[in-house]
Amino acid sequence: MTFDLSVITDHWRFLAYGIGVTVALAAASGAASLALGFVVALARLFGPRWAKHAVVLYIDSMRAVPVLVVMVWTFFALPILTGLTMRPFAAALIGLTVHLAAYAAEIYRAGIESVRPGQTRASLALGMSRAQILRRIVLPQALVRMLPAFGSLLSVTIKDTAIASVIAVPELMRQSETLAGQSFQPIEVYSFAMLAYFLILFPVTRGVDRLYRHVAHLGRS
Amino acid sequence: MNFDWSVVGAHRDALAAATGTTVLLTVTTMAIAVPCGIVVASLRLYAWAPLRAIATAYVELFRNLPLILVVYWAFYVLPIATDLRLSPFATGIAALALNVTAYNAETFRAGIGSIRRGQLEAAMALGMSRTQAVRRIVLPQAVRRILPVLASTWVSLFKDTSLVSVIAVTELAYVAMQIRAQTFRVLEMLTAMAAIYWLLGYPQAKLVDWIQRRYAVTE
Amino acid sequence: MSRRAKENGAKIIRYRGVTKRYGAFEALSGVDLDVHAGEVVCLIGPSGSGKSTLLRCTNALETIDGGEIEFEGAQLPRDERALREVRRRMGMVFQSFELFPHLTALHNIAEAPRTVLKARRAEAEDRARAMLAKVGLSDKASNYPAALSGGQQQRVAIARALAMEPDVMLFDEPTSALDPETIGEVLSVMKALADEGMTMVVVTHEMTFARRVGDWVAVFDAGRIVEQGPPRQIFDAPTTERTRDFLSHLGWHGATL
Repeated sequence: MTFDLSVITDHWRFLAYGIGVTVALAAASGAASLALGFVVALARLFGPRWAKHAVVLYIDSMRAVPVLVVMVWTFFALPILTGLTMRPFAAALIGLTVHLAAYAAEIYRAGIESVRPGQTRASLALGMSRAQILRRIVLPQALVRMLPAFGSLLSVTIKDTAIASVIAVPELMRQSETLAGQSFQPIEVYSFAMLAYFLILFPVTRGVDRLYRHVAHLGRS
Repeated sequence: MNFDWSVVGAHRDALAAATGTTVLLTVTTMAIAVPCGIVVASLRLYAWAPLRAIATAYVELFRNLPLILVVYWAFYVLPIATDLRLSPFATGIAALALNVTAYNAETFRAGIGSIRRGQLEAAMALGMSRTQAVRRIVLPQAVRRILPVLASTWVSLFKDTSLVSVIAVTELAYVAMQIRAQTFRVLEMLTAMAAIYWLLGYPQAKLVDWIQRRYAVTE
Repeated sequence: MSRRAKENGAKIIRYRGVTKRYGAFEALSGVDLDVHAGEVVCLIGPSGSGKSTLLRCTNALETIDGGEIEFEGAQLPRDERALREVRRRMGMVFQSFELFPHLTALHNIAEAPRTVLKARRAEAEDRARAMLAKVGLSDKASNYPAALSGGQQQRVAIARALAMEPDVMLFDEPTSALDPETIGEVLSVMKALADEGMTMVVVTHEMTFARRVGDWVAVFDAGRIVEQGPPRQIFDAPTTERTRDFLSHLGWHGATL
């Protein structure tokens, strides 16, 4: 069995485009889910009762339903309901964001709740407002504690972009599928894809570990 | 915009069978991945350096690859590499098991490693052998820490079975999307698919919460 | 009983030229010490001076790099199985208690007799109850460690070690992790043990305890014993500069009992 790398080198632009889309989708959905997740977490922690219930239902639903199903439904079914046409990238972005935001919200919540109540009491005693306490005392400590979990979520985000291949988003997985099918050289192409994903993901997980060790003491109270 | 929800009822047998396949995939994979995970974790903890390195490399590799890619790779590469012609179902199991074993190995390793050394020392100071100390003192405590994570992995696995649909394994996602293609009732079938996953997954998620509460570790 | 009388008793433990290294760092540099039957030997000194290390070498939780340790007339064996036999005759109490969190107080105490001595369950539990009574915690038998205070946990830990009927008890800073209010209850138990004639080696910062209950005190510094003698000598009339420095740092200014 010979390993013919020419299929990779001949089509490197095609594959590089896929990597670019992967990174773009991961970054966009990562950022969006961080933002949405924060709002959701605040609603759960500080919102009215009905909001708390709605949020818990949303979060638990995202824990129950696979990403694939969310993405497929967003791409095929949502347009029927809303009458809007949707491009694959947009559908993947929305699906991923909605799914990941639920996990992000839980990370925010756990982080905020893990800061000792004494910190809040001390701040109140000093005359700070609740918003100030959250912003200046609790969140900074909480954010440090959330780092490992968010790092893990980033890793999941990048891996889940590969699922967007199912709705024909031209990210790396899809490009690899196409190339493997056309060239009849699945071993070389998929091995390359594995290498590419590994090289993207491994530094992310290691980097988060390192960063956390560096700043861990800031989160201890 | 007209909806015909009867299409779901009309295909309920196919959907039920597909759901069964999903459950079967989950159970079979876990049945393989738990013992294998224990083996790999033991290698990482106790074996001599080269074996430890291989075990670590395996875990790091599969934790840093998208599962859907592993599924495709298993489908196209395994037959050529091993000369076996595996059914899509078996290929799906292979890919899922490779993936979940790696996660389990990490869970077991971290669980055992999280038990303070002092516990082992206290047991040995009382005259217990290492084996006795591990079996009666370290493992019971480790299990309490491992169980919630394992439960969480189970639910993730349940959702991940949807990914083997890409190699035409007749589980829920594949069958639902086939029916959609045949009947053109897109919204109905996809919503039904989501609903069935939700009905099965929601209680599992709640069960995981309960397990985590019950086995919460208080030092 | 005074030290002189106990000197005629059997040497339970003999340390001769004990050396222990961690990489380039020498934790113990030639320690000589005798522990006689029925004696309470207190090891004092600054943190990191090797006191705890010596204790952990005594029951072979750590292995020494030089010199020898004799227990009841025989050198510590190298074979793991023989070592286990030796450990059964020594009891150890840890600074962090190390109770088994998944077992009740009663089962913590009964565990080793059942597992190691192969005692039957009823017998082991009876013995455990007796030990609990001895340390004053009969009513806590079915409590889990998490429900006990630090002092209570340490007393259970002492009972756990006693249940094995050891010939010597090793205490590694037994009260360092306790709140001041609970230190007293643990020291009382230790004093009662000493009064009963138990041979004890105690690493401690509780100078009052060492002065009152100890028969022999060894002052450690940088892996060596810089001075050893009866409490009266060490605390009231130390002969070395190091000892004087150490004691004055602790705020000890001569006998005030």
